[in-house]
Amino acid sequence: MIASLVVTLDCAVAGSSGVAKQIAQIPGVQLCEGESFSHRIPILIDSTDPDSLEETTRRLQSIVGVAFVDVVFVHFEDEPCDNVVAPIGKTTGQ
Amino acid sequence: MSRKPDTQDGVVQRREFIKASAMAAAAAIAGGASFALPILADEPATGVDWQKAPCRFCGTGCHVQVGVQQGKVVAIAGDRNADVNKGLLCVKGYHVGAALYGKDRLTKPLLRDGDSYREISWQEAIRIIADRIQAAPERFAFYGSGQWTIPEGYAAQKFMKGGLSNNHIDPNARLCMASAVTGFLATYGVDEPAGCYDDLDACDVLIMWGNNPAEMHPVLFSRVIDRRSRGEKVTLIDIGTRRTRTTEACQHYLEMKGHGDLAIANGIAHLLIKNGTYDQKFVDSFCSFKAPDDANPNLHGKVISFAEYKTLLETYTPEHVEQLSGVPASQIRMLADLFGNRKLRITSLWCMGMNQHTRGTAINTMVHGIHLLSGHFGTPGNAPTSLTGQPSACGTVREVGTLSHALPGGLVVTDAENRTKAEEIWQVPPGRINSVPGHHTVKMWESFCTPTSEGGDIGTIWVQVTNPGQTLPNLNKLFNPKGDSKAGLEDKFLIVSDVYPTATTRLADLILPSAMWVEKNGMVGNSERRTQQWFKMVNPPGEARDDCWQTIAVAHELLTRGVEGMKDRNGQFLFEVKDADGGVVPIWEWEHYYDTNVDKHLFEEYRKFTRFKHKDLAPYGEYVKARGLRWPVVEHNGEWKETQFRFSEGSDPYVAAGKEIQFYHSSTHDDRAQIWFHPWIAPAEVPDAEFPLMLCTGRVLEHWHSGSMTRRIPELSRAMPRAYAELHPDDASSYGLKNGDRIRMESRRGSLEISVWIDGRGKPPKGTVFVPFFDETLLINDLTLDAVDPFSKQPDYKKAAVRISKVHA
Repeated sequence: MIASLVVTLDCAVAGSSGVAKQIAQIPGVQLCEGESFSHRIPILIDSTDPDSLEETTRRLQSIVGVAFVDVVFVHFEDEPCDNVVAPIGKTTGQ
Repeated sequence: MSRKPDTQDGVVQRREFIKASAMAAAAAIAGGASFALPILADEPATGVDWQKAPCRFCGTGCHVQVGVQQGKVVAIAGDRNADVNKGLLCVKGYHVGAALYGKDRLTKPLLRDGDSYREISWQEAIRIIADRIQAAPERFAFYGSGQWTIPEGYAAQKFMKGGLSNNHIDPNARLCMASAVTGFLATYGVDEPAGCYDDLDACDVLIMWGNNPAEMHPVLFSRVIDRRSRGEKVTLIDIGTRRTRTTEACQHYLEMKGHGDLAIANGIAHLLIKNGTYDQKFVDSFCSFKAPDDANPNLHGKVISFAEYKTLLETYTPEHVEQLSGVPASQIRMLADLFGNRKLRITSLWCMGMNQHTRGTAINTMVHGIHLLSGHFGTPGNAPTSLTGQPSACGTVREVGTLSHALPGGLVVTDAENRTKAEEIWQVPPGRINSVPGHHTVKMWESFCTPTSEGGDIGTIWVQVTNPGQTLPNLNKLFNPKGDSKAGLEDKFLIVSDVYPTATTRLADLILPSAMWVEKNGMVGNSERRTQQWFKMVNPPGEARDDCWQTIAVAHELLTRGVEGMKDRNGQFLFEVKDADGGVVPIWEWEHYYDTNVDKHLFEEYRKFTRFKHKDLAPYGEYVKARGLRWPVVEHNGEWKETQFRFSEGSDPYVAAGKEIQFYHSSTHDDRAQIWFHPWIAPAEVPDAEFPLMLCTGRVLEHWHSGSMTRRIPELSRAMPRAYAELHPDDASSYGLKNGDRIRMESRRGSLEISVWIDGRGKPPKGTVFVPFFDETLLINDLTLDAVDPFSKQPDYKKAAVRISKVHA
């Protein structure tokens, strides 16, 4: 699973390296290199665990100074998918 | 373009490309620019033709740039020139292009043949529909949605009311924003918000009433968060029945019980008056007071004095409100202090939490009322604003009036003068429009699912652009009987136009394949009165065709059979279109439908209606140039100017000089808005010993509405594959449940088996459960309640009593 997110910081911590370091320590998370961002930090998640987006979002939100997490993009490729869209016909099995 | 890597190196390169694209998109948003994402994630898109379109999904109205190459949508970018989203998109918006390319698009008309379907021609399909209508026109109903484009809805409206003299046309928007409509009508005498999204850039306090914009309208919410993170002081308050992603970003969370909002609004009003902090000058100048007329319930109620209003509020002390709502008295005082401070600019937002409510009209009027009482109205940042869930709930349903009682432009069928105005524009004979309102949504489907011999007076329903088999409440009463061979409904006939198989098509007798989004021309209207336009960019698959063409083709088939209603008073076809030389363009023939711009012809006719209620729209060509315009749009010195703030001098061209604020459609005809008192009333169903938990339903970030499009987008589907039941940890513990366990959930109306999610994305309080409705394989609306608001006829999907039990493997 590949996902990109934008982490919006409270103004009090915007530009501080401390929050960015905490974000970078989350397994599977990459920060955008070579560019400086003030209050919005773009990050990438590259993981084989399809549940990691939810868990990572939750961990990001728990960091003091993180105001909001926008999910921008998600992509799944190698992970199994058992979600089959419904064919014509009753699918609820009730 | 569609080259697939066939080596390990190729796979690595592809993955690296996707990662680079994903990161670039996030970096572009963080840096304030836009970036195009390839929707199929194959490789960079080059040589692409870019055109504008509003996003297909929610009511925010974000504009996207659509990249087309070789007849296919290959990339999507946020539109930097759009005021609504300024280049930003949410995760659904970035993936919107892929909604066209699900593997199971419907491509042929299908007619039920026993338990299966057989392909038929369009000619036969049109003939079958015409047969059903001609046999019993009064038993025919048209069910649409806020996803009908403006021209599609207008054509359906004219076909039914101006052609068949039949008012049985209603949209799914009856299920999502009808109470907002009645709230605006009861307060201002005319529908739709006075404010706009600019209020989000100016407010000091943003109060969300039962609203989760972080997931449902993320671009708007992100706009406010961005202000705060840039150092502006914005206080965010979430009044809700469960913690959500919105709550996480708010400074205050006021957790209420169902219908607690009625008590909270009264509590605020009580304190504003008691503390002398209401805006007496504003109230004296611009407001009157109303209370329900219990002997004759209607939207006008009865006039009361300020003293009577004050008396009615006396019992709503903070302590009493705490008992009714569950919100601590101190927080009621905090809200009243904020509203009592006129230096602050306060915006309220709401959506389904206040609308899907058996007292939805009441709570809508009451939130307007506290803004009016406190004078937080009419200046930037001071606005009570309802949001919509569909791209054209406002543009099509509310403005074109595709409701069973309405005509375009805010006119109603019960008013003889209104009917005459419509008959004049449509050039149909006087008396053609029926004066009796048709069936609203719940009544329409109840009648359809009732045997004819027992009074079920709807025999045929044609559904376009919506999925009632999943979204109606109490499906076992309002939809599922159609599939029961013992239900005595053999004579009922369901026609469904859609782009994918859905929970509705499973019971359809006739399925019609439709074009969607940029496979056709379109116009929509978003939550802030903004009308938006786009052109067809790619062809629909197979034999899929525009919904609007389908309606016109049936109308013409009826014309050829001599059905008088399909002619105007001059004997011309209702949908006659002529070319520049005066020749009739046969738009009822698919091969000629795009010989002309049918949307433009319909829109220019419809535009005549928009002046009756000062909702003026500009000529079609102005919308081609713009990223939408907010009505009223009025010509001034040769330019068409939009309106930011309605009823406010200096912004609204219809406010007379010197008036400051003028509610020029006041129901009391004195330019005043109405401040309503309504009492707190318990929900229609509350938990008891037999059904001890309260069920709330709603949406999630990744999926839009019933998921019929977003579940076809692999990325979104895999990010949120299935519905779940959120439980409080204490409740889970008492039932012996852990994450992922299966439960059987039952209400008095139905049941389902579903997995539990404890401490999930949302956190319901003890005694409540939440289930999203996007999942076609887990139909939560088998359990929901079909009790409706008495005025809007909108059901309450947020409060149903249920019980649960663990399912042992």
